[in-house]
Amino acid sequence: MTEIVAKFDSVSYLYPRSSKLALRDVSLEIKKGEFVGLIGPSGAGKTTLCLTFNGIVPQFYGGRFWGKIVIAGMDSLEVSIHDLARRVGMVFEDPETQITATSVEAEVAFALENLGVPREEIEVRIVEVLKILRLEGMEDKHPHELSGGQKQRLAIASALALQPELLVLDEPTSQLDTLGQQEIFAALHALNQKLGITVVIASHASEALADYADRLILLADGEVIASGRPNELYSQVPLLETCGVRPPQVSQIFHLIASRVGQPAAFPVTLNAGIAHFRDICEHYRLACPKFAALDLKKTGTPLFSVQELCYRYPDGTEALRGVSLDIHRGEYVLVAGHNGAGKSTLVKHFLSLSHPTSGKVLVDGVSTDRLSVSALARRIGYVAQNPDNQIFNATVWEEVAFSLRVLGYSDADVQCRVKDSLATLDLLEQRDLHPLSLPRSDRVRVVVAAALALQPEAIVFDEPTTAQDYRGAKVILELSRTLHALGKTVVVITHQLYLMPSYAERMIVLGGGKIVLDAPLRQAFHALETLRTASLVPPQAVLLSRVLDPEALLVTPDEVAACFFPND
Amino acid sequence: MAIGEGVRLDTPSGEEREVKAVGGTTIDGAPIAYVVALAAVVTVLAFIPLSVVIGSGKSFPMSQGIYPLVGWLLGPVAGALANGIGSLAGVFLAPHTSTMPIATVFGAAAGGLASGSMCVRDTRRSLRVVSVVVFVLAYSLYAGRAVLQNGASLWAVLLGSLINWSALLLFLLPTRTYFARWIGDQDLRKVAMGLFGGTWMIAGLVHLCTSAIIYFVLNWPNAVWVSIAPFAPFEHAVRCLVGTVIGTGVIAGLRAIGLVKPTYALY
Amino acid sequence: MTIGAFQTVARDSLFTRLDFRTKLLMIVVVTGIAFIWESPLLGGGLAFIVLLTCLFAGVSFAYIWRVVAMTAPFYLIMILTQALFAGPLIAARTGQDRLTMLLTFPEHWWLIGGSGFSREGLLYAANVVFKTLTMTLIIPLGIFTTDINKMVVSMVRLKIPYRFVFIFSSTLRFFPLLFQEAHFILEAQRLRGLALEEIRGIKRLNVYARIAIPLILNTMVKSQMLEVVLQSKAFPGDANRTYLHESRLGKADYILIGALSLFFVTAIISYFVFGLGKFGGPA
Repeated sequence: MTEIVAKFDSVSYLYPRSSKLALRDVSLEIKKGEFVGLIGPSGAGKTTLCLTFNGIVPQFYGGRFWGKIVIAGMDSLEVSIHDLARRVGMVFEDPETQITATSVEAEVAFALENLGVPREEIEVRIVEVLKILRLEGMEDKHPHELSGGQKQRLAIASALALQPELLVLDEPTSQLDTLGQQEIFAALHALNQKLGITVVIASHASEALADYADRLILLADGEVIASGRPNELYSQVPLLETCGVRPPQVSQIFHLIASRVGQPAAFPVTLNAGIAHFRDICEHYRLACPKFAALDLKKTGTPLFSVQELCYRYPDGTEALRGVSLDIHRGEYVLVAGHNGAGKSTLVKHFLSLSHPTSGKVLVDGVSTDRLSVSALARRIGYVAQNPDNQIFNATVWEEVAFSLRVLGYSDADVQCRVKDSLATLDLLEQRDLHPLSLPRSDRVRVVVAAALALQPEAIVFDEPTTAQDYRGAKVILELSRTLHALGKTVVVITHQLYLMPSYAERMIVLGGGKIVLDAPLRQAFHALETLRTASLVPPQAVLLSRVLDPEALLVTPDEVAACFFPND
Repeated sequence: MAIGEGVRLDTPSGEEREVKAVGGTTIDGAPIAYVVALAAVVTVLAFIPLSVVIGSGKSFPMSQGIYPLVGWLLGPVAGALANGIGSLAGVFLAPHTSTMPIATVFGAAAGGLASGSMCVRDTRRSLRVVSVVVFVLAYSLYAGRAVLQNGASLWAVLLGSLINWSALLLFLLPTRTYFARWIGDQDLRKVAMGLFGGTWMIAGLVHLCTSAIIYFVLNWPNAVWVSIAPFAPFEHAVRCLVGTVIGTGVIAGLRAIGLVKPTYALY
Repeated sequence: MTIGAFQTVARDSLFTRLDFRTKLLMIVVVTGIAFIWESPLLGGGLAFIVLLTCLFAGVSFAYIWRVVAMTAPFYLIMILTQALFAGPLIAARTGQDRLTMLLTFPEHWWLIGGSGFSREGLLYAANVVFKTLTMTLIIPLGIFTTDINKMVVSMVRLKIPYRFVFIFSSTLRFFPLLFQEAHFILEAQRLRGLALEEIRGIKRLNVYARIAIPLILNTMVKSQMLEVVLQSKAFPGDANRTYLHESRLGKADYILIGALSLFFVTAIISYFVFGLGKFGGPA
């Protein structure tokens, strides 16, 4: 019989000063060697559940607790957090905050030192875990010198060095790009398969969980709604969508096919299984893929943004952009994609005059940015940064939105009018007197967008707006972008989460190594598989599956793929 | 309503357990993570120069505007630590940014201790007594050396050290309590007044500690006392403005976010 | 703004091999003696030795030049003020009532008419310059030649509570991150229309002050997460906490500690008994 590493028995928890249970009657078991995924929307209780494994909930926070949790044979309320820390390694969402040391090896050593592990043993474990996580040779590096994926691997290495019974990870990939996410899941898979480490991971990365998890637990409102193998849970698409969880696109496609032509015999949830099954079922149904006319993106007139042979070199000599040329016309909705370090943000900063070319030209509406100040461009181009908190400087939502208007010398009447309009558009009028930082993250993004919108800019740039958002939160922000586009604004969105974009962007520009490797209408771009692969981007599963049916059809969404299927009459 | 009438019970099914909340690691009631955070902020702001100080050819760093605030946010011991370690880290990172590292660190730490001990509840009396002794001694050595050992005129020294003795007076008098009360008030205008007055007082004492050590080394002549007299209060007022703007924004934000307050926080 | 980073020397030397406690003693002793000495000859000698030692230890000449260049305006002001106005101070130190004037300004000149540059004033100014240079350069000699992790362990060996040392090392860890964040905040303000280059005076102050507000608030919010992280890593740990790095005093350390102690005691005794190091004294 497989050993139980963690057992929850009717566990409920109420944070101090809260009136809503964060966890309600949670009963579950985690077996040794399992790879368990925790899925659920933001606020479902995933983080709270993760923090119960090492006793931080409730011992650190206080509050009220019901039920019993046994971790490696120990009652989590009877044993100190200090002792539980030996048994449970923890990795958190933010790669920066969880690393406290000034070098890689010091970080790995930190928890071991706290637990009084002898120095010789610490040295041995450091060598071991750095090798496992492919960080050898980086012992003396400052964390600031590491990439996001490397930082999270370091966090995993630090947790692994404890030789824990259980490794718990709370959204470890939400702030990473596709490459970083793949690195982390591959590392966890290896730890689970080769070393038998029990893994519990809370994540929105449905596709990765479908590939790697042995079991999924669906949480909503603090309760366990369902539990089962990925192919059991991810096939329950209506349930998942009701709970605000995005299933893998493979699941969505098969669910939609089932709605059209009846329940298929098998319900794959992974890409490979989906491709294999597609090949099987194609014979059983009539296929007729919708045709999409090739989009002509040629525009006339002066582009709003024109980049001509742009090269940019950082002071340390790093070439961030190498001979980039492109035009973006008014009214376009453009997706800019690429892995971390590809030059996306650097390119966009040139539009805003925050950076100036080492060589080449950048023109805004025909005028070189050398002749345009950042403040002048701010009236015309709004910018929403990845971290909205860096763009909040005032004590109320109203003041925040009015900030730019006052700085730029608008009259009081104008300020009143524009702020009111902007808040109304973003549905923030009720929150006008609240401090922006007291709002949830997705509302803070809306405040920043409202602040940009108050200047009535012609264009808005969203820099990685969906990072660290759950599916619902990401959709809210993208719907905002759609609203702005409908108002006639030119919209530029930087993201690597390609699966979110088909209903929004018309055109995709892919950067790789400081160069444009692809600039095409979205459909063509999503199907340029080899180019995307070299740029370390992963097209949506719908694209990959559709190519089994008809590579020429250029399908990009689950609905489009499912629409190919008709019953055999 | 009884079960079975379609009403969901809110009571969890498990047995309620006694929770012995241990909280996190603290230093004198302030979470250690807060101390780390503010120490790092002090270090960063030490790299942002604000204005040119006429007479010495150097600018003053923005960190000087927040030394008092750190004590008000964390309490006396944690505030002293955050300021001291933050400024020490700044010295280690860029030794050339401080005229005299020991003076910078000592002044910053003393400022945190003094501002943190201002709290209205009078429970930090011993720390306040220590602060008073240190500051009175510092001023005595500072002004005393100038007049008695270096031959400067008493009036020149008094005028040149206006921000120091005025700060000391404000700290000794009931004004200290008024400032503390205003900083803890819910009305942000009172908070701003308390911050301005409090920053004049505490930053003046920081300046005193720093200058006392620096003067021991530099022993500037009488003419320098005369020349800094008109400019020092202006520069100090700028420091207070900076502290007020930052402090008001931070305190409003902290109250809105509802972060757990350290035991001896004043806001 | 350029991102500051913890600097280290590029090469191995005696100083990189010394324990940090020894270097800390060196900093304290040299700073103390520089503090007390007012003789430009001895102060200059000490400054010269510290400078040479910095170069020997691997502190780059470019860095030293930068230090000198940044503090040059301050030194110039010191030189001018002491040279012009140091009369009463010199009289109080040496009992001299007449100074040796090297240059006297015409009587009719406003404010400075009749005064001039005195030899004694210039010498006193030189003493001030050497003092401050010594106290500034001794820091990189001790700090740049030490690995941060070894510094941490040495501080613990000096009985500084580990929690305090942890705050120090974490500050160094988070500094680059926060520095970058301050830069992003400033950028965000510019993107809201703030034309920094056109703003002057109090308004500019307001802008810079507003960088600090989101910086402090965001940092405090993140620090709550840091609390949880520390708990999950069993912080603050056992009373018998172990350390990966070691702090051991070797032969060279003991020799240097002895030499520094002797130097300090000798300097103090000489100063008070023989006046060696006093302004106007034997040296």
